[in-house]
Amino acid sequence: MFNSLRMSMGWVHTWMGLVLGFVLMICFFFGALSVFDREIDRWAIPDTRFEPQPMPSFDNVLKPIYQQLQPDPVDMAATERRVVGTLPDPETLKLESLFAYTTHRDPVLLIGGEFAIPNQPIDPADDHQHVHGRATVNPATGEMLNDDALKIGSDWFYPMHFSLNLNWMMLGYWIVGLAALVMLAGLVSGIIIHRKIFREFFTFRPWKNLFRSSLDLHNMTGVVALPFHFFFAFTALVIFASNIYLPVTHTTLKPLHEHHEMLEAERKGLPHEPAGIPAPLASVDAMVAEAKRRWAERNMAGEVGFLSMNHLGDENGYVSIYRAGSDRVALVGEGIHFKASTGEVIREEPPRSVVSSIDEFLTGLHLQHFEHWMLRWLYVFGGLLGAICIATGFILFVEKRKAKHARNGSQGSRIVDALAVTTVTGMVLAAVGMLVANRLLPADLAGKGQWEQTIFWSVWGLAFLHAAWRSSPVAKARYNPAWREQSLLLGLMSLCAVGLNWVTTGDHLIKTVFTDTYWAVAGVDLSLIVTALIAFYAAAKLRAPVTEQKIDDALSRNKQVNAYD
Amino acid sequence: MTETMWLIAAVVAAVLSMGWLALAYETHWQQVFPESRTLPETGRLKLTGWVFLSLSAVFCLKADHPSMAVLVWVMLLAVAAFSVAMMLSHRPAALKIICPPLFVAKA
Repeated sequence: MFNSLRMSMGWVHTWMGLVLGFVLMICFFFGALSVFDREIDRWAIPDTRFEPQPMPSFDNVLKPIYQQLQPDPVDMAATERRVVGTLPDPETLKLESLFAYTTHRDPVLLIGGEFAIPNQPIDPADDHQHVHGRATVNPATGEMLNDDALKIGSDWFYPMHFSLNLNWMMLGYWIVGLAALVMLAGLVSGIIIHRKIFREFFTFRPWKNLFRSSLDLHNMTGVVALPFHFFFAFTALVIFASNIYLPVTHTTLKPLHEHHEMLEAERKGLPHEPAGIPAPLASVDAMVAEAKRRWAERNMAGEVGFLSMNHLGDENGYVSIYRAGSDRVALVGEGIHFKASTGEVIREEPPRSVVSSIDEFLTGLHLQHFEHWMLRWLYVFGGLLGAICIATGFILFVEKRKAKHARNGSQGSRIVDALAVTTVTGMVLAAVGMLVANRLLPADLAGKGQWEQTIFWSVWGLAFLHAAWRSSPVAKARYNPAWREQSLLLGLMSLCAVGLNWVTTGDHLIKTVFTDTYWAVAGVDLSLIVTALIAFYAAAKLRAPVTEQKIDDALSRNKQVNAYD
Repeated sequence: MTETMWLIAAVVAAVLSMGWLALAYETHWQQVFPESRTLPETGRLKLTGWVFLSLSAVFCLKADHPSMAVLVWVMLLAVAAFSVAMMLSHRPAALKIICPPLFVAKA
């Protein structure tokens, strides 16, 4: 079919890149936003604009809060469909395990637990015998956050980048996984078809025609951040490989897995099952103090990142305390397990093996628990370089074909261009539109988070309709004015979001930067202003009249362009 | 504070090294010196570029735990290369300041 390796690789790069590029654009952009998900949460939920704090005292602060924790109604309904008979009143369900999670960037604390149910499962192989509960608490006051307050950063933008927020049959995870795999193929094929990797390493010639200058930018953003692109696509697959993409331990090897789980619990001395004998809970604060002492002894002094308890109120109950990995490329780890009723240490996890350390580094570099603001910003930059690379890829596709399509009467370029507008400016509009909605909707509105999600999808949908409606010039080898119009709107909306934050919360930039410094909110505001400036600059550039002469030039040039060169 | 100083040094070294590595290419040299009939002293530029690239890695290692330093360095190189490329396309003359006579060969 193809005469050379480069041509066949070119085909793979073009068509797979086109089809999954739209998904990758979402992964890169929302991935870049996820670097600062907690900060976006603070912007969106003004009640939580206070300083991050370490895990609070369990005995004094957290213990009473868990007594207010309720089973999640959505999970109640889902569980009810899987069991025989109706579930008891949620008020009467007993908490059998719990967890608390925090990071160095969190003023609020995520808590949750599992409530035991007496019902038998319909499928005897179903071992999911509990209902979950989850809440976000303000450790300063001990109050739970309103469920309707959506954490836009960590519960919407963040899952968007790995699941597209399409949770039906985990469809989004699979699409993103496929896109990550294709991206790896795209990087390899891109390297093969790019003839001058080193000679054109620093080359960007904006004065050349749109095809050539876009190709420069596509190559340059792809090559300079190649390690970043490679490692993020690869580690994305590593992170989900064992539990979603290749879940052999829960399918083919399930009996073996369960047997191993029991043996491992026995070996570690952590009871797999409750004893059925009630027992009190010793001081958890004393256990935390002991864990910290042991970490310091290993020259790894640190804070608690994750705390969990199993078999609550039972003789076999135990408490697990994990260290936050803020000072290195790591997740929570160095677990120490205590007997819940006495507080004695059952087991201290040994140092990681080499394989486990590599796994921790690979997942850790993607999940970024570390405390390193410069590296965070470098990651944002890497993500945006990836987005530029994909966006210029779309432009190349259209520029290479639109003259030919105009002659043949084909609508191909027009459709791709409209989709490109939707996934470039349209996507940013949806994100900023959601922030604007967040500030306009009253804080006590019932279902506020749902409204924000609806507005997010609606803005994005409207951006698509607008791009499609304005796309007819592309079929005549001209430019789609939607690029410019959406850039203008984006600039206005970004400024609007900053203004609304000021009006509705009183937190303007002079306050958040100088007088009462709060970088989380200041950072979001400043980023919105930079977004607005770039959007206005782009709109001004796109206003430059495209004369008939230029279009004719483009038409004649397109006849000559046969390959990526 | 020392960590910040090392990181600043790493940024400066990375940008300088990318600048010199770019100038070692005749096309980019001519973007910076369009009127001049000089050519780059390629060998010296490349050598200095690579030395500074390694120096920026050392500075990153001084600032952070090695596992973190390697990430900072790799990302820094991307940002430095992108910045130099943008300078070359928009303000090439600005790169004259990193070109002492040492790097100029006679045409």
